Amino acid sequence: MTDTSTAAPAAWSRARRRAKEARDEEFTAFVEAAGTRLRRSAYLMCRDWHLAQDLTQHTLAKMYAAWDRVRTKASVEAYSRRVLMNVVFDQQSRRSGSEIVLADLPDRAGGEPAGAPELRVTLVDALARLDVRDRAVLVLRHAEDHSVETVASILGLSVSAVKMRNARALERLRTLLGDEFRQLCG
Amino acid sequence: MDGHLRDRFDEAVAGDPGLAPGALARAAMAEGGRIRRRRTGLTAAGAAVLVVAAGGLAVANLPRDAGPPPVTIAAAMLPAPASSCSVEPVEEGATDLAVFLGTAATERQRAAVEAAVHGDTRIGAVVFESRQSAHQRFVSLWADNPELVAAIDASQFPDSFRLRLVAAEQDAAVRARLAAMPGVEQIIGHRCPVDAPVGGLW
Repeated sequence: MTDTSTAAPAAWSRARRRAKEARDEEFTAFVEAAGTRLRRSAYLMCRDWHLAQDLTQHTLAKMYAAWDRVRTKASVEAYSRRVLMNVVFDQQSRRSGSEIVLADLPDRAGGEPAGAPELRVTLVDALARLDVRDRAVLVLRHAEDHSVETVASILGLSVSAVKMRNARALERLRTLLGDEFRQLCG
Repeated sequence: MDGHLRDRFDEAVAGDPGLAPGALARAAMAEGGRIRRRRTGLTAAGAAVLVVAAGGLAVANLPRDAGPPPVTIAAAMLPAPASSCSVEPVEEGATDLAVFLGTAATERQRAAVEAAVHGDTRIGAVVFESRQSAHQRFVSLWADNPELVAAIDASQFPDSFRLRLVAAEQDAAVRARLAAMPGVEQIIGHRCPVDAPVGGLW
């Protein structure tokens, strides 16, 4: 390999710099528009704001590294969710022991009274007890309001698989969260 | 129902400590730039494939003058997943597999694995990566790090078969079959879209 960059004419170098500036500007605009929602979804997936920030940054970094290709996609937003969920799944499989922390949370059967407020299982805690892909379905479908079809394409699942996972995960949330949630979900 | 549920999700993120999007964008661009430079190097080297450190390979720290970040031979030989695939290997449900033979695998064992992967209808595509080409790519990729290049020769790289499965559901069965074959040292799986390089590794 010869290094052409040292021999590059100044004009080429300037054009390259301008292209980078334009790319950075466009990418920054995307982060400003989508970054907060992406980070919040990451939080719902991992229950930790610091980790959520790392996962989001990593997601955005991967997108930036391929921005020239990514920017031409029909939906950069949907693509960003696909990259995020892949990053989350990878992180999850790497730290698959971490969910044990939650193992002593009781499953609350229907008729049981709710415990003291500080003992109540929050939505985020309950989400953490779901299969990570079921959790992704709930977050994309209900926190982000994507259609079943969009969720399916983001996660690379069939529409029926998304519906099945959605129903199963909602049922599990009802069990974990008890009456209050049951009323909300009908 | 969905409206209520949506409200619950909104409440759940109410504790958002906040983060300036500009800071997030800058951090992502810095990290993304590093990924990009690394990948450009890979492309220039001919879609280089980094090869997994096979079994008995010693992990040696390079001299400190190699500069930050410190690079170990094992890390440098680790396969880089293709950018569109899962970052980390997956244990199940992989769409793509990289089957590494041991460095001591015989030609007969290699031929048997080759016949097995070509004859298996659950495998849609096969690419063979020889230890020589794996080594060449390693040399090109790490051309700016002569200590690293000098520390390792082609015999320390394994041959590998890169596979794309017809269906991810068959991952476990295909892996089990190939892992049982003599000469197979390690199998690494990734989830990849169809446009990724076969095997999921660069």
